[in-house]
Amino acid sequence: MKNFFRKVAFGLKPEEKAPSDPLTWAQKQVETIPELNWKGKHIYSEKEMRKYWITQRVEEDRTLRKKYKNDPQGLRRAEKQLENDTGAKYWPTNEICMRHAEGIRSDNPVLAKLWYFWTNHFTISDTQRLPEFSTGAYHREFIRANMDKTFETMVQEATVAWPMIMHLDNKDNIGPKSESGRQEWRRREKKPATLNENHARELMELHTISPDGGYTQEDVQELAKIMTGWRPKWTKKSDQGTDIRFMSDRHEPGKKNVLGKTYKNGRKSLKIVIKDLVNHPSCREFIATKLCRYLITDHPTKEMIAPIIKAWEQSDGHLPEVHKAAIKVAFEYNDKYKKFQNPENWWLQTINMSGASYAYPVPEKKMDKFQLGILVSENLREPNWRLENIGYHPYKAKQPNGYSDISTDWLSTELIIRRLMYAKEAFHQYKIKDQIDDTIHEKIIRTNFDNPDKILKIVAKAKSNEEKHMILFNLPEVLRA
Amino acid sequence: MKISRRDFLKGTATSLFLAGFNLPALATSSRKKNLVVIMLRGGMDGLCAVPVIGDKNFEKRRKSILIEDTIKLNSDFALHPRLIGFNKCWNENTGTIVHATSIPYKQRSHFEGQNLMESGGKVPYQEKTGWVGRAMKLANLQGDGLALSLPMPLLLRGIPKNNNYFPTWGRLPRKDTLDLLKSVYADSSEDELLQMMNFIKKRKDEQMMGGTGGGDRQKNKNLARQAAKYLRKSDGPRVAVFEVNGFDTHAAQGGVDGTHTECLVEMDEIINNLRDNLQEAYKDTIILTVTEFGRTIKQNGGNGTEHGYGTAIFMAGGLLKKSQVHTDWPGLKRKEMYEGRDLNATIDARSVYASAMSTVFDLDFKRIQKDVFWGEELQNLSDKLFKT
Repeated sequence: MKNFFRKVAFGLKPEEKAPSDPLTWAQKQVETIPELNWKGKHIYSEKEMRKYWITQRVEEDRTLRKKYKNDPQGLRRAEKQLENDTGAKYWPTNEICMRHAEGIRSDNPVLAKLWYFWTNHFTISDTQRLPEFSTGAYHREFIRANMDKTFETMVQEATVAWPMIMHLDNKDNIGPKSESGRQEWRRREKKPATLNENHARELMELHTISPDGGYTQEDVQELAKIMTGWRPKWTKKSDQGTDIRFMSDRHEPGKKNVLGKTYKNGRKSLKIVIKDLVNHPSCREFIATKLCRYLITDHPTKEMIAPIIKAWEQSDGHLPEVHKAAIKVAFEYNDKYKKFQNPENWWLQTINMSGASYAYPVPEKKMDKFQLGILVSENLREPNWRLENIGYHPYKAKQPNGYSDISTDWLSTELIIRRLMYAKEAFHQYKIKDQIDDTIHEKIIRTNFDNPDKILKIVAKAKSNEEKHMILFNLPEVLRA
Repeated sequence: MKISRRDFLKGTATSLFLAGFNLPALATSSRKKNLVVIMLRGGMDGLCAVPVIGDKNFEKRRKSILIEDTIKLNSDFALHPRLIGFNKCWNENTGTIVHATSIPYKQRSHFEGQNLMESGGKVPYQEKTGWVGRAMKLANLQGDGLALSLPMPLLLRGIPKNNNYFPTWGRLPRKDTLDLLKSVYADSSEDELLQMMNFIKKRKDEQMMGGTGGGDRQKNKNLARQAAKYLRKSDGPRVAVFEVNGFDTHAAQGGVDGTHTECLVEMDEIINNLRDNLQEAYKDTIILTVTEFGRTIKQNGGNGTEHGYGTAIFMAGGLLKKSQVHTDWPGLKRKEMYEGRDLNATIDARSVYASAMSTVFDLDFKRIQKDVFWGEELQNLSDKLFKT
């Protein structure tokens, strides 16, 4: 039974009492979206973060490259200073602190674990310097804030979120027959208006109906036409960093046909086509399967996904209901399946079960001392670097499909080396008093396992408390939940 | 552009004829032969890397992103001028390009395409193993694969006990800790974890945590140096797999200094550093590239290109027959292109891969065709491309 607290959350702290009704405990957490646990002072909106992004991009792409075109060393120095000036090395850790505080310090770790699921579903991959400035804020505003609404709302908002439009190139998706497409300057400057199918394809393949939805290349192109014109507002000075809106002069005129349905010319069609995609049977099946794969097993069964699909249908995709159904299925299959935990969830579980959440994430006090322009110290950069080194940085997925939820993708020599090293590092997050406390591992084990004696016996073979940490957090019982 | 399909077919007939006069290959079983695969993720633009010479259909569609000062390879094709490492191989008669080729995937999704370029199949996500892994299994090469990345790529799956190398900072735990975990994994029937622990124990003995160079240690150019050290050992791995990301240049693909070039240069550094550091073992090696698809001929409004179809394969190493651009060129007139927009693929890339593995693993082509690629129709190109 205690395994359930690791399956849907990050285990229990050494002194924590196990909730008497685990299912209700977990389900209650997903009903509403509380304020962030993190109380640091540098919490900015996605829009506010864009001004730093613009400075970074404009300076490095235009000013610096021209200014230092014959001085590579000067360029490198100037680039480093620019990163200090824009906070490029600070913001990611700051956002990770907010993200991880939800998992290991808040009263709703179950909600946090599902938040991480959705941020991966609506991945912003590592491109255009979005990880440094925008992705964390996008995760808070467009994903977490919509977790008490319908899936449709989340898709609608994520689709036209500025980082999503940027990362899937929809700003370059311009109707060839649109007003803008027919303008003389395009011929003169050799900038013809063309469709960019990237975002349209991912909206179907990754975000909603998946390839099981049976769309064709023509459907992708037609959806791309519907999406033409959704981009940052263009100004003479810069076409970057301004809000996303529908620019009718770039919209491909005429009716469009996606999956056999006709959509009118204009602004309103995007909303309607998203509604149709979200209500396609393949969409709920796809999401239900992904939820089960994340929480329960690599190979979800029809029986597993059925109650989630049913909850979806009854609630019109209301996410709290979908989540509650998924939690219930996880509860029912708790003893039957153990899911190998991805590196980020394993790290949070390790810190949480150790009881070192006073040291990780970096306390607000320390993060608040940051000032623009000054080199960010190593220990403030560590959480950001660690996630990359562990193979799971939520802002740095290489591709728009995010990270895998399949166990074998997390089994390799190097990844297991990382777990050994970081189990040791988790131990060193402890204050000295805990490091020398010879009962600490017994507490962790008795709180978190139904079969403490077997595990205690193995861990007792270690020579030091540090070694006990490395062994305990690499036992199959901990790697899987 | 002087080449035509007729010329190609004529040329093919000649080389087949000549092949008959080749002396039978000497017994090669005592030599350790290596295969290096570089996965180019995002869709490598074969016509940015290896542009066709004097084709107006091509030039007029790519006005702003045309590569200048290219290196002429033959009367029909040129090489991107920044591919210095590959050019060395070419000049030494150990560099080959296969052009107008692709895996048999004609949709335009990266994820499906990359899944298929690794699995070698035709239905996305259907296969759970990779074509290299299956061929290694056929050749009985357990424990001989090395991935230069954190997770294990699908390409190498299908045979257990592959290793990976992606150095970090820090020290491994002491031997007793590793032994204890190893015994726990054995007792809990955690086979995969047990295999990983065996590699870690071996790694500990070899002291290969860090490799060289501070911040550069995880960069491909360093990984290539380290991989070469392993590959040239007689008991080292037989297969190494690299990944280069970022070829998906929908915007700002640029010309000779653009974003596509940066990715090509990263690929070239791998080839160059392998060539330099493999030393004698370069003679017994095939390095080859794979990608999910090429890119559209026509540039888009953002000076980028869209997902396409036909592309090119780079190959280098002493097991290459000679420097050549091997192609059955389909042409770039509208009706010659795939769906009127992409370079067509006239050679199934898997024919090249099956032939390469037949050479490196000393396996009969037909066996690879049957057991690795499900008996699908593939062409044996071993005589044309490799020293057999």
